[in-house]
Amino acid sequence: MNSKAYRLVILSLYVSMALILSYVESLIPLPLPIPGAKIGLPNIITLVSLLTLGWPLTLLVVVARVLLSGFLFGGGFSIVYSLGGGLLSLFVMALILHFTKDGFSLILTSIFGAISHNLGQVIVASIVVQTSSLMLYFLILMFLAIPTGLFIGITARELMRLLDKTTIFKRLNS
Amino acid sequence: MKKKEFIVITILLVISLGGIALYYIINATNQPLYVRVTSQGEVVTVLPLSEDHTETFYTPSGGYNTLTISNGKAKMTDADCPDKICVKTYPISSPGETIVCLPHKLVVEVVTGNS
Repeated sequence: MNSKAYRLVILSLYVSMALILSYVESLIPLPLPIPGAKIGLPNIITLVSLLTLGWPLTLLVVVARVLLSGFLFGGGFSIVYSLGGGLLSLFVMALILHFTKDGFSLILTSIFGAISHNLGQVIVASIVVQTSSLMLYFLILMFLAIPTGLFIGITARELMRLLDKTTIFKRLNS
Repeated sequence: MKKKEFIVITILLVISLGGIALYYIINATNQPLYVRVTSQGEVVTVLPLSEDHTETFYTPSGGYNTLTISNGKAKMTDADCPDKICVKTYPISSPGETIVCLPHKLVVEVVTGNS
């Protein structure tokens, strides 16, 4: 199998895993009366994909996951602000990984990704409802993003450690 | 966890918690509080937070949100939006707190008398 086809297989695996994680996440409501607070399980896949495929293909993974999960589980409306959060989060995480090449920390990348995901959602929400009074709401979400981002970052780090022992990614760039 | 990670996480926690505390301190007031309801970017009504009141707001597309004010707290008690996020939001009572219904473009916020 040539590396282009191999990459396509990995890419579609990422999309389907991210989609399943979005679904699992929608089954676990956080016991908090804060709308929009989520664990961010699909971000595990975004992180692994960023590390293995790079940002251009990860952009495809994120857009496909947001569109598909929006149509399947979320009702069309949630797509707009999921996309705002997902894209800003990906942009920030890609920048961090790009500028901290060797000494990067997956945990910190994940936390900043979680915070920027909330920022993106709040910005889109502010535009949609034409209000500028969501600052407090963002600060609460940012506080909650720290433990969830930490959890996702540790999970992604351990997953990468296991995946690095396999030969899955050795063939990606051959 | 490495030391660098611990430091950055602590800084972020301080920023968010400090921000929340600062927000409440800056907005703390003894003036009477009001609940401002904004739909599609336009103010629909302003209600005093001290009087118990229930009102249903209809959007141009036919949806509705029911807002209940009781014991100095405002809460969205019913809505027919798909996600029901506004109904799940905690009751608001301090200046600057908001309840947002994105599908109906409805914002409920606590404001002070002069704003």
